[in-house]
Amino acid sequence: MNEPDWRQLDPRMLILGPIAALKQLAVPAVIALIASGLQNAAWMLFALPVVVTMMFLLGAMPWFTTRYRITESNLQRRQGLLSRKVVTAPLDRIRTVDLSSPLLHRILGLTKVEIGTGVDDTRIELDPLGVDEAAELRRVLLARRAVARGESPVAEPVDPATSEGGAGDLGDGAPETSIAAATPAHVEVASIDWSWLRFAPFSLTRLVIVAGIFGLLSQFADDLPFLDADNIRRGWGWLLEQALPLVLVTAFFGSLALWLLISIGGYVTQWWRFRLFRDDGNLRLTAGLITTRSTSIEEARIRGVQMSEWALLRLVGGAQLSTLTTGLESGTTSVLPPSPVGVNRRVAATLIEAPEPMTVRLTRHGPRARRRCHIRNQWSTVFITLGVVAAWQWWEAEAWMIGATALLVGTWGAVLGEAEYRHLGHALVNGHLVSGWGALSRHRVALQTDGIIGWVITQNIFQRRLGLASLIATTAAGSERVLVRDVDRGVAVTLAAAATPDLIAEFRV
Amino acid sequence: MSTPTGLRVPAHQVSPAARPYWLLSAFISDLVLLSLLTVGYVVWPQPPWWAGTLLLILVLVLTVHVVAMPPIRFRVHRWEVTETAVHTRVGWLSTDERVAPISRVQTVDSHQTALMRLFGLATVTVTTASAAGPIVISCLDATVARQVVAWLTEITARTDGDAT
Repeated sequence: MNEPDWRQLDPRMLILGPIAALKQLAVPAVIALIASGLQNAAWMLFALPVVVTMMFLLGAMPWFTTRYRITESNLQRRQGLLSRKVVTAPLDRIRTVDLSSPLLHRILGLTKVEIGTGVDDTRIELDPLGVDEAAELRRVLLARRAVARGESPVAEPVDPATSEGGAGDLGDGAPETSIAAATPAHVEVASIDWSWLRFAPFSLTRLVIVAGIFGLLSQFADDLPFLDADNIRRGWGWLLEQALPLVLVTAFFGSLALWLLISIGGYVTQWWRFRLFRDDGNLRLTAGLITTRSTSIEEARIRGVQMSEWALLRLVGGAQLSTLTTGLESGTTSVLPPSPVGVNRRVAATLIEAPEPMTVRLTRHGPRARRRCHIRNQWSTVFITLGVVAAWQWWEAEAWMIGATALLVGTWGAVLGEAEYRHLGHALVNGHLVSGWGALSRHRVALQTDGIIGWVITQNIFQRRLGLASLIATTAAGSERVLVRDVDRGVAVTLAAAATPDLIAEFRV
Repeated sequence: MSTPTGLRVPAHQVSPAARPYWLLSAFISDLVLLSLLTVGYVVWPQPPWWAGTLLLILVLVLTVHVVAMPPIRFRVHRWEVTETAVHTRVGWLSTDERVAPISRVQTVDSHQTALMRLFGLATVTVTTASAAGPIVISCLDATVARQVVAWLTEITARTDGDAT
């Protein structure tokens, strides 16, 4: 058996590497230069060539020292000049092959390849390879995996990256049935429908980022010389004199417009040409405008799905879907942009090959669970009211404020409590354990019963009094646990026994 | 202790030496907490009236903890390892029952702290591929713990696959 040759990374790395190193070195270098160089300009003349040389060495070094090859049964990557390190991954252990191209990679026609292997978190990274070479590597790896497992290799799938050309554009929302018909191994599950853009402003994940940016800006604002307290107060006073309502209205519409711009822009950038398709035992997702991502998940690794109708998204009938997967670092992979609940349900049904888990009516947990939901949500009422009482004691607050606060917070707590109870539930249907929860948001997770690797039944002192328990199905996928909260203890045991009869049977009475 | 509905309790109790061990360790940790707070109370220039009351209540609570916890916990803690599964129940105010199939066990560890060695106790930890599911069988007799580890290692070696 002759060993195949070691292969090198793409030579364009000699351009990419130094630029990437520059990005890393830039900040410390600038700080060092400012700290030491400004007083003594001549020093810079020596420092600059050193920095530049270092940049090239650091950036280009991996190209000289990294080799990879695919042998009969393994993928190997060799690194290092003096101390040599070889990482070997058996082909049948390769779960995922992810390609991603950040902006710089795309300009140079390069791709970063990450290969995920099984339960441990180590991923083999080959960065960068040429776009064609990477696509070929992925095809070979995934095809070899099937051979290594003794499965019959399926007809070679048409690669969308090559078959599409430059055809996809804004109107390209229709499913490409021609490809699906030609090669049965390659079936489209979902693709972007730009009418989903309406959900973008209701998805708040990006708001966190925006808030972060504003926080950062305000830090800088503190340092601006003209922005001291006096000036601000004077300016503010002047504004108020002019027209308070006008200021408020402008601020409101201004931030609304900004938010629309950011959220829609973000949605388009992230989900540009989004496609989700099955490809020879893998679920593949491609999307992205500036950075294109391509993620493959081995379908045999998918243990379930979770559908999240986030607080605002729920108002307009939108949801997001993720898969629970074993052997991936994060365990959950988002597979759909914010999109209509109906689409989420359809895709979920395809992925777990069962339509019921996402549509079935959940069994509620009864009046005792409802009581606990309400009590949990009234704690804030107690604390906030106590706070107001303290304020009334020590400062000059009005007595009626206590009543008003208690009423307001109490009503809000009651609304939350009732919502929490209504969303709480469980089901066991078509080989899946289903659990629902959430107050303002609504979540539903479905886990294959085959993916359950243990049970935990906990009862705290309050639950014991009411005969309730929290049932946790442990799993290697996703967040590694599925919680069914505040369910009758007998029901919990029956549910566990019905989901995994072999495991629980010997302990039943 | 009312019998739980549907699921029988695991077969074995932990070592009787667990009772004095729990008592001593609870006593030590409570004493440390109490002495810290007492020092704080003494050096406080003019403690308000409620500070002393709170301290007194705490003394009572901690005494109840030290006296009542070990026997209750001894009644609750139970464990069992069968051909196919590990089953435990732990806790005293809150309870926590765990079942994991042996076919999904990934690692089996045992360990002893200095204080546990004094009482001849050992703890066996069984982990699965889920971070939510480690099973801890605490305060076994050290000899029993060794047997359990040997037994578990033997059975898990028999099953193959990567247990996810």
